[in-house]
Amino acid sequence: MWVDLAITFVKILFVLAITVGFFAPVLTWVERKQSAIMQDRIGANRADILGFTVLGLFHIIADALKMFTKEDFIPQGANKILHTISPIIAVVPALLTFAVVPFGGQYTLFGKEVNLVISDLDVGLLFVFAIASLATYGYVIAGWSSNNNWSLLGSMRTASQMISYEVTMGLTIVGVLMVYGSMKLTTIGAIQEDFFRWGLFLQPLGFVMFLAASIAENKRIPFDNPEAESEIVAGYFTEYSGLKFGMFFMAEFIEMVTIGAIMTILFFGAWHIPFLSTATLIGWFDFLGTTGSNLLVMLIQVGVFFAKVIFFIWLQMTIRWTLPRFRYDQIMKLGWKILLPLSLANILITGIVILVLN
Amino acid sequence: MELLIFYPIAGLCIALALGVIFNTSPVGSAMCLIGMMLGLAGIFVLLQAHFVAILQIIIYAGAIMVLFMFVIMLLNLKEAASADWVTRSNNLFISIMTGVLAIGILYKIVDVIFIDKLDSPATLPDSFGTVATIGEALFTDFVLPFEVASLLLLAAMIGAVVLAKPKLD
Amino acid sequence: MAYYVNRNIKMTWWERLYLPEIIKGMGITSRHFFVNLFGFVPFLLGAKKERPIMTVYYPEEQVQYPIAYRGRPVLAQNEDGQPACVACGLCEIACPAYCIHIEPSENSGKQNQYERWPDVFNIDYAICIFCGNCEEACPEEAIFMSDDCEISMLDRKQMLYTKEQLLTPVADLQKRIEFTRNMYAKWNY
Repeated sequence: MWVDLAITFVKILFVLAITVGFFAPVLTWVERKQSAIMQDRIGANRADILGFTVLGLFHIIADALKMFTKEDFIPQGANKILHTISPIIAVVPALLTFAVVPFGGQYTLFGKEVNLVISDLDVGLLFVFAIASLATYGYVIAGWSSNNNWSLLGSMRTASQMISYEVTMGLTIVGVLMVYGSMKLTTIGAIQEDFFRWGLFLQPLGFVMFLAASIAENKRIPFDNPEAESEIVAGYFTEYSGLKFGMFFMAEFIEMVTIGAIMTILFFGAWHIPFLSTATLIGWFDFLGTTGSNLLVMLIQVGVFFAKVIFFIWLQMTIRWTLPRFRYDQIMKLGWKILLPLSLANILITGIVILVLN
Repeated sequence: MELLIFYPIAGLCIALALGVIFNTSPVGSAMCLIGMMLGLAGIFVLLQAHFVAILQIIIYAGAIMVLFMFVIMLLNLKEAASADWVTRSNNLFISIMTGVLAIGILYKIVDVIFIDKLDSPATLPDSFGTVATIGEALFTDFVLPFEVASLLLLAAMIGAVVLAKPKLD
Repeated sequence: MAYYVNRNIKMTWWERLYLPEIIKGMGITSRHFFVNLFGFVPFLLGAKKERPIMTVYYPEEQVQYPIAYRGRPVLAQNEDGQPACVACGLCEIACPAYCIHIEPSENSGKQNQYERWPDVFNIDYAICIFCGNCEEACPEEAIFMSDDCEISMLDRKQMLYTKEQLLTPVADLQKRIEFTRNMYAKWNY
């Protein structure tokens, strides 16, 4: 039992290290640099230590220092408790989702079966969905407790937008569920060992709709109406400063990683390399012994998984720096009049195809 | 081991439920209610009913309470002025009925506790509470209630549309 | 002249699908991304001097401003070291922000000397709005807009430039002088 606990602890530490410790700070730099390069600019390159700029990577440290040393400001008339806890409510769901996301398959290490997922829930897919819907509160409460009209507008937009796109998200998940016949994310990942059973090919429409809905859930451009700078100052986090503001940003970046991971699991073959099954890979490295070959394959597949996650992050950033912001009525129209009927049709078509094939 | 998790969650649930009643600001009440929903979900998980727990979060905490918050913000409800407890004489009947109901429920709880059924946790089958078994049960044994419920929801939906639609000539 | 934008553009069915157009747009941006990304590598390794990027590292690199650019106004200094200004005060009057202060001085009858010159000629750049009216008003081709715009300071008092600081040799201003002659000659005063 203690060994199991220790393994779980190591997995939690790994996930925290890679999301909070690696992705969240590095993505702030990546976003600046990628947008710059896409727009024929140079991007962040000023922060330096002893004259070394290292492509502007020190901006991460500069940002962190700035966030830590800024005044923590609570506006007059604001609800202090809610104002303080709302950034926390925003960050926690983004991290919680990783509890059920498998970042590798099942390997035999030192005579012990190790499953590279923190908690292999039977309702994993629904868990992801439930946690995503909880994330709304952080933003809604943030806007309400700030005692600021722009913030309130931002939080209202957040609430309506997230409710609208949760519907699409849920119905798209139903399509995936019907194809794989399981809600366990590990099972869904394992099924996609066969290249032609990737979700991308089985649910092409679902893929696009899930991407759109999850970007809308994350409130990034083109769905960034809740924080539309040119309309309502900064939306729900207008009245935030210092580390609390930073936490909202961290939530956004961690959620980008989460979306990437979920997309990879559901639609992009999880941790598998196309046309190379785990058994084949272990067979190649058989001369290293059971533990050695399993360890090597584990490293390879975790690497492949995170490479795919990085691809999806790149895709999200490209979308964010390519498209302009939707108008509010356009968002609602897209959500309710286009995506919702399409996702219902997707379920219907999937059902018919499954019925015919059986 | 389970009690170690149960008692904090249960305590938190009760505290938050009291918070819902005694909070003067509507948003504070709503937040307490959300917290209580999450606590209930935790208790469901302790009972090995993962699916119900997740549904609790999705439907109550995730969907309905967001709408509650939305409406509270839309109406911009401020903190209630010092609440005066008003009792009216014609409420006496209702009060008595509620009291009887509460006593009945309490009696039943005490009854259950003294039967000592809680002490012997039966071993659960592996398939207990999984999505597959619940789905199977819903679509075989309970298909009629299920369909009736869906019909009810459809009627509610159509009613909402009719109410919201501007009158056609 | 009002300019009307036609907002009722009829979109084709393909365009109204929206998704293909998004993919097309993303193709363009990601092409820029990859071209620039791989164009950067030889530059960073030092193999290439030119960056494939239009922007400049501002303090290290600077662009040549166009001759019509209005930087801070300066006084023209003749070859013999005296200002071309005759302290007539027209620029002082023309200045909409009242940032010019002139105290004239006159020749007391000496031969081979200037008739009039400014004793004090101050321009407060903290007030100046860089409109160029002084240049336009000047009858003696004495005050010109230079291409220098780096006049930010930590202290406002330092932004009050005196005559000695303002004087710039005529040779340096030759291009601007020609430009103003061309420009104002066309305007029918």
